[in-house]
Amino acid sequence: MADVLTYVLHYEGEFNKNSLGAVSEGTARAKEIGGECHAVVVGGDDLTDELCSSLGAYGATKVFRAKGPEGLAQPVVDVMAKVIDENGQSYALFGGGLLGFEIGAGLAARKHAGVTMEVISVRAEDGKLVAERPILGDSQISVSRYQGDLGIIIGRINSFEAHAVDGGSAEVVDVDLEYSPWSTQAEMVERGEQRGADVDIEGADILVAGGRGLGKPEGFELLEQLAGAFGGNSAVAATRAVVDAGWYPYAAQIGQTGKTVAPKLYLAAGISGAIQHKVGMQSSENIVAINKDAGAPIFEFSDLGVVGDLNKIVPKLIEAIKAKKGG
Amino acid sequence: MASMNGHGPVAPSEFPPPVDPVGEFVKRELDPEEERIDVGVAIVGGGTAGLACANRLLQLLGEDPDLLETLGEVPVAVIEKAKTCGGHNLSGAVMRPGPLQELFPDLSREDWRAEKFAFGEVRKESVYMLTGPKTKLRVPIPAVPNFKNHGNEVISVSALARYQQRQAEEGGAYVLTETSATQLIVTDGRVAGVRSGDKGRGKDGEPLGNFEPGTDINARVTVLAEGCWGHLTGAAIKEFGLAKNREPQVWELGVKEVWKVPKPLDRVIHTFVQPWPLKVASKYGQLGGTWLYPMKNSKGEDLVSIGFVVDLNYRDATTSAHDLLQAFKTHPLVREILDGGERVAWGAKALPGGGYWSMPKLSMPGALLVGDGAGMVDTAALKGVHHSVKSGMLAAEAIYRSLKSGSSLEAYEDAVEQSSIGQELYQVRNTRQAFQKGFLVGSLLAGPSIMSKGKVPPGRQAWHRDDAEPMFIGDTRERYPKPDGKYIFDKLSSVYVSGNSTRDDAPNHIRVRKEVPREIAETWRWMCPAGVYEIPDDAPESGRVDVIVNYTNCVQCGAITAKGGRLTPPEGGDGPLYTVT
Repeated sequence: MADVLTYVLHYEGEFNKNSLGAVSEGTARAKEIGGECHAVVVGGDDLTDELCSSLGAYGATKVFRAKGPEGLAQPVVDVMAKVIDENGQSYALFGGGLLGFEIGAGLAARKHAGVTMEVISVRAEDGKLVAERPILGDSQISVSRYQGDLGIIIGRINSFEAHAVDGGSAEVVDVDLEYSPWSTQAEMVERGEQRGADVDIEGADILVAGGRGLGKPEGFELLEQLAGAFGGNSAVAATRAVVDAGWYPYAAQIGQTGKTVAPKLYLAAGISGAIQHKVGMQSSENIVAINKDAGAPIFEFSDLGVVGDLNKIVPKLIEAIKAKKGG
Repeated sequence: MASMNGHGPVAPSEFPPPVDPVGEFVKRELDPEEERIDVGVAIVGGGTAGLACANRLLQLLGEDPDLLETLGEVPVAVIEKAKTCGGHNLSGAVMRPGPLQELFPDLSREDWRAEKFAFGEVRKESVYMLTGPKTKLRVPIPAVPNFKNHGNEVISVSALARYQQRQAEEGGAYVLTETSATQLIVTDGRVAGVRSGDKGRGKDGEPLGNFEPGTDINARVTVLAEGCWGHLTGAAIKEFGLAKNREPQVWELGVKEVWKVPKPLDRVIHTFVQPWPLKVASKYGQLGGTWLYPMKNSKGEDLVSIGFVVDLNYRDATTSAHDLLQAFKTHPLVREILDGGERVAWGAKALPGGGYWSMPKLSMPGALLVGDGAGMVDTAALKGVHHSVKSGMLAAEAIYRSLKSGSSLEAYEDAVEQSSIGQELYQVRNTRQAFQKGFLVGSLLAGPSIMSKGKVPPGRQAWHRDDAEPMFIGDTRERYPKPDGKYIFDKLSSVYVSGNSTRDDAPNHIRVRKEVPREIAETWRWMCPAGVYEIPDDAPESGRVDVIVNYTNCVQCGAITAKGGRLTPPEGGDGPLYTVT
């Protein structure tokens, strides 16, 4: 038996998208090695039986529930270590995000287990799980295999997609434990919003992205109007150069050192399309580029390229979209 | 062409970087014992010289357990700013084998190849002069004996450093990777160690959530093995007056690619690149050359190392080593070799070109200079790796004797002078200076100098500082091909291939004046192989330009220091991650 244990973060009665991705991934991989996917949740009374068992919809068969502070790493390490000691899961899988990194690293130290971070893909090989992570600026893939009783896999954010399976409901098991002295030292004082966190560029279907070619920070106002005209699930994104220059928040940065996105439509305004940017958006379904330089590399991987002055083109585009929507 | 600001041509030296090396980079107090790390010997820089020093020292200490005991828990520490040793190392490279054979006597050259840092002995070689974009002239080797490489070994310095790191660690060295040495600690007129750099500071220097302050590393002896344009080497030279009565150092910049090729290259090739793609006319002040060397990757597939080196003494602001390499690749000589291949690596590195007269005094109380940081490159023969290895070994031997019997570290200076380093560099001490008067004058005088083994020209030929050359905006750029992303590459996609991963919100580590005349701004923009310096589209044609510094692109080649700026070490772990260069 080789079961996979995941940690599922929740807040205000909802599970985190990346955590659900980990459950889906854990379920699929556990099946391939003849095991089940289990989940650990830590929190207060808001973790109702109903909420916990609903993880069955993503494939979890058992949910281990412990009372404790939610959103802090050390208590979760205690709970997961105990659950693994008693149930012998072979892998711990995390969906990504800073909390997952911290819990995974803590668990690795506690259990003397091997750990791989920034994993983008997991596969089964001879009844064992193998983790793949990009290295050297994403130019190569490094493959991790695990020795020992426990292997820890921490995904890169958004690498594992959540999908509901024909859902039964998961069995909810309460875990009683005494937390380590250090686990009770920290408490959640305040939940802050990351600057620009309201920009959900990873979840957007339409992204309007701006680069140095906008000429000035105010150019983003035009792009925000354009995103507004598209309406629905659209957002504004930016290149590193303009984030560096302070024109737009880091949370909206696309590329090698920013976010990786794959919207249905990616509209690049004044972006030259250097490889550092390309790696963050090349899987977009449709790429439209507006740039005054006909030789800009972005035209090589655009589905539609417009050579021209974006300050003239974008306002017309906004008008046209509004007209079409109005009509 | 006169500058457009009406004051005549401007030289980068008129716009010195906002930096005070001694004031900023020398620390006058040692932190108390409980806050610092005490080591025996601290070696700053895990390249070929620093690691040769570590390995030789550990060999000597291995046979002297009593002395080893006195050096404490950490007898030898190597401080390396890259993610791994070799991560910032780049060279051609064809190496004279002697010193490395001496360092690892039990290792044969076959063993070197099995360890994958060496790729074979040079048996065939050619030298060409490129006479135009499609034409060349073969130069017989006897006419240019400095290019004779028969019997030498093609290597990767990056891979060699990784091998030396493994050896040093097995021998008991502590190798602190991802650690910059940012300050030289000097107490009572003596070097007492170095301070490691802070980590986790934001753009404005503010501590971020993951902030870790640096630590004083207190050492009985410190070895500065920082390579070209050593950050602390520069501070030490100023602090201890080590360059007194020496010629100024001058610099060259090399840009290199490694290609996977369908058929093996059967020889090493060097070229002169005048009259193409560099210009002969002396107003351009250009001098350069190229190489093509055969290599293999770890799977045994055929690779070719190709590079272009340009003297940083030039005057045309549009001189760009990266783009000159791209131009060189369009020559039929190269196309024939790379055709059907694929680029697998790219990198850039400056190197010291002054040679014998520009070498600083090599010792100071408590510390020594080795390798490129000390200027030990023979730019007539295009060789320096063997000198780096040898100087590291000689430093180790002087340190061992000093620790053992209290003898002066100055003995190292004599040892270098007497060794192959001193002898070889002395022979070519005056060979290259004449090129500063132009390519034709240089060509006329270099031959007799080499043929006479340095007897002519006699005396001491002076060097002129690279940053004192007045710059003009010329037309060298017209010779650069347009990138196609397949065979000809732009700078940014090249930086990507270098594995560069400098943190976006790190403080800027490059010191330049931001408001400079266009000639200076253009010089930086074209020179920088990593596209760090950008001129805004709306900058005025004349007058001052407000240069955009994209410091996160920086691959730490060091060239900016030769043309009016200063490279200081960024956070440890930043910068490129070279593997086969």
